[in-house]
Amino acid sequence: MRRLLSEVRYRLRALFRGRAMDTELNEEMQFHLEREIEKRTRAGASRAEAERMARAHFGAVEGTRDEARDARGISVLEHLGRDLHLAVRSLRNRPALTIGVVLTLGLGIGVNAAMFGIIDRLLFRPPPMLDDPGTVFRVYRPRLSVDEGEPRVDRNFAFPTFLDIARLTSPFETVAAFQTRRLGVGEGEDVLEVPVTVASASYFSLFRAVPARGRFFTQAEDAVPQGTQVAVLGYDFWQNRFGGQDVIGRTLRVDRMICTIVGIAPRHFVGMSDQGVPAVFLPITAYAYALRGQRYPGNFNWSWLELVVRRRASVSREIAEAAVDNGMIQSYRNAQAFDPGWGTPEENRVHGALGPVQLARGPDASPETKTATWIGGVALIVLLIACANVANLLLSRAVGRRGEVAMRAALGANRSRIAGQVLVESLVLAVLGGVVGVALAQWGAAGLRAWFLPADLDVGVLGDPRTLAFVAIAVVVAGLLTGIGPAMDAARTITSGSLRIDARHERRERTGLRSLLLVLQPALSMVLLVGALLFVRSLRHVRDYRLGYDVDPVALVAASLRGAQLNQAAQRELTQRMLDAAGTVPGVRYVSLAASIPFWSNEGRRLYVPGVDSVNRLGRFILQAGTPDYFRTMGTRIIRGRPFDATDRVGSPPVVVVSEGMARAVWPDQEAIGKCFRIGSDTVPCSTVIGIAEDMRVRSLTDSREFTYYLPAAQYDGGFDPIIIARVDGKAADYTTSLRARLQTEMPGAAYVTVAPLQTLVNPRMRSWEFGATLFVAFGALALIVAAVGLYSMMAYEVARRTRELGVRIAMGASVPRILRGVLARGGRLVLVGVLLGGVAALVIAPRIQDLLFQQPARDPVVFFGVAGVLALVGVLATLIPALRATRVDPNVALRAE
Amino acid sequence: MSGQLDLPQGTLDLLILKTLSLEPMHGWAISERLHQISEATLVIPQGSLYPALHRLERKGWIDAEWGSSENNRRTKTYHLTGSGRRQLAAERAAWRTLTRTVELVLDTR
Repeated sequence: MRRLLSEVRYRLRALFRGRAMDTELNEEMQFHLEREIEKRTRAGASRAEAERMARAHFGAVEGTRDEARDARGISVLEHLGRDLHLAVRSLRNRPALTIGVVLTLGLGIGVNAAMFGIIDRLLFRPPPMLDDPGTVFRVYRPRLSVDEGEPRVDRNFAFPTFLDIARLTSPFETVAAFQTRRLGVGEGEDVLEVPVTVASASYFSLFRAVPARGRFFTQAEDAVPQGTQVAVLGYDFWQNRFGGQDVIGRTLRVDRMICTIVGIAPRHFVGMSDQGVPAVFLPITAYAYALRGQRYPGNFNWSWLELVVRRRASVSREIAEAAVDNGMIQSYRNAQAFDPGWGTPEENRVHGALGPVQLARGPDASPETKTATWIGGVALIVLLIACANVANLLLSRAVGRRGEVAMRAALGANRSRIAGQVLVESLVLAVLGGVVGVALAQWGAAGLRAWFLPADLDVGVLGDPRTLAFVAIAVVVAGLLTGIGPAMDAARTITSGSLRIDARHERRERTGLRSLLLVLQPALSMVLLVGALLFVRSLRHVRDYRLGYDVDPVALVAASLRGAQLNQAAQRELTQRMLDAAGTVPGVRYVSLAASIPFWSNEGRRLYVPGVDSVNRLGRFILQAGTPDYFRTMGTRIIRGRPFDATDRVGSPPVVVVSEGMARAVWPDQEAIGKCFRIGSDTVPCSTVIGIAEDMRVRSLTDSREFTYYLPAAQYDGGFDPIIIARVDGKAADYTTSLRARLQTEMPGAAYVTVAPLQTLVNPRMRSWEFGATLFVAFGALALIVAAVGLYSMMAYEVARRTRELGVRIAMGASVPRILRGVLARGGRLVLVGVLLGGVAALVIAPRIQDLLFQQPARDPVVFFGVAGVLALVGVLATLIPALRATRVDPNVALRAE
Repeated sequence: MSGQLDLPQGTLDLLILKTLSLEPMHGWAISERLHQISEATLVIPQGSLYPALHRLERKGWIDAEWGSSENNRRTKTYHLTGSGRRQLAAERAAWRTLTRTVELVLDTR
């Protein structure tokens, strides 16, 4: 016990008074040496001799000091403090190197912090406040499409399917349905289109969420069929729109409903939504009833709800999945009873499946998710290159510092102390890099996050412990990666007992590791740049791709009726008024009705072609109907035959224009014009093909089995939504205000007009390529710059170190081109090997991103040779400056410097 | 240096404790005393003396205080503590046992 006390007392003293104890120790040893010298001079030795012998007898002073410190027992902590102190001093002495290294690591860590936050939210993190996410699943319905015979996965279900699944109460504690859509909220001029989540009352019980004010809506308010028009506001919407005042009991117009506000959702509550932060939550029944009337609860043809379930704790996932599988098949049978067009569950191979709450991990993940994951990998490579570069810089410096290391070793400092100190230095650099990286990610990543995560309540990197933990790990790994080489070099310097303090004399340089690091950088850059160029070319293909219509000059004009009840005739009259009014707006060239709008809404019907079995297995056929100016408005070209015109009226023989692809698919090797087919049922009159139009992309940019046929509006029996399309001179985006102002005057009641350039519908389809291209190029360029700087500094360093040798060679008469060639060859070899290795790696990896590319072969030789050429050029440039410096070495100066 | 012995591992602590049991003294004096008593047979690696002293101090077997020497230099003087005395007795006994045993083995025919 007393020993323990004494030990503790001693250690505390050592900890807090370590420096004083060192001084004391020095004093003590000094005293010892002096007495020893005195003794020896008395015995007759000369003063100098005595001093030498005393020191020899005593042994290495520094070693003794370290040992004594170790004996004190707190050395690890104390050494760390000392090393930190030393590291900071040594880094401060070389500000250029320090800043370069910190920025390099900062960029590397910053891009990773940004991408980690995104990928974490996409793939791993459950929505905020979700209770026990492990038991919550999204519901999917994998099946073969009856029309196309292709496998697909449904995620949106009809209301009666929700009711069918909700009946499965034994495996599931909760079954909830929801959908988020943009709806007009407010009155008149104040109408704002905001994300509105329409949800079942059960939805809220999935979350550990307590309303900030009031309450959530109840089962009774979400009762079939009519529900109650109540609303819960999102916290941010409440703050921004109502300034946080008491609004419970007030009414709010949402789309066509007048809702009573009953509660405010808690802050940061977004539900399951991945389509924006909801401003308002509404009961499904109230919304569906207002939109579709009392027949919606049995309507299987309106698939619009996403389903979420929580299994009971006592039920395994397998059993839950079996139950949902069974329920889905049952519900499909109900759908078939409602509309035979669904086909039987057997022939469609219908199943029910559960998927994780993270949409991106489910079977219906968007290409953006994949792109994000790849870019996350790219970010890691950038960090690797940064680490290789920094490791190289530190290694070069370590070689330059061998003298210092050897000196300290000779003074008795032990191996682990010296290696440890080198490692601490690189860790300090990595920590500084981490700080810079967090700052970069904090300010620079907001745009990235908004792009990938529309429903993200951005708290930045600093407010996100998971990202900060990730950064901490990245810092330690980067510190070790960059420090291990130099530390080993220092340790070896000591082991080899090298007292050759002058590093210039050390002929046998350990260049192997450094060459490897130098090769690694162009190799990794090669991989990244190949990816970048593939995405850039994809993007260009997408942009150049003819969609079958013009995008820029076309605007969509839609009327939201919001409850103004119009009969067929009144609605037809309204659209005619809209057409007429839009035509009078200056700059508007053509206007037309349209039944299907690209990437917005489309209609399909079964087709019956004489002599062709099950036409619908050939592809997806999209019905389009328009007024005579339709083709001129869209800019769609007629390839052969004629477009429909004013002579194709009600009662005249039915006519149809088909797309080129459709003509080829349905009537291969035959002239399609003059052929006829029936639309919707095999009892209607046959429509005769009068013209062939170019192919049009309506649902997907990449699906070549997507066909369109065009009917004159006069002969189309379906109703038109009050949407018209207008073609303007110049860009549609410049006309949104004037179109809207002119058409708003035609609106009845509370109806309002929205104008959207077609561009805004098409652009999101290009996002994954746009984003892939932008980020790959940004990261690839970053990697290239870092690699080039690495190569440059390395070659510059080698030339500087070989100054003497070069001087001798020049003095011996080596010609300038020869010297130049020598240096260039060394740099060139490294780049060449790197490019070859990277090229092979890229060849292996590239096919895996094939499905993210657009009409771009992943192993495109143009891309590979192009990137290799760029890298070779950069390599030569990076080597050229040091090489030229080598030729200007003055032999006199070089030799005298010795 | 014929006739000189290297110190067996671990015995330095014992010797220091024994030396200090005679009277408190400073580091150099300890090394001198050991040298004399052993009739110049033992080579005390002087460099390892100080780590050993610090180790013993940490264990609480010896304690130290700063004073001044004959010619008025500041010196650190070590002395044995109570537990150091007990430790010395214990180690001494252990050493005796050890040497006796080793001799016994060596003398066996």
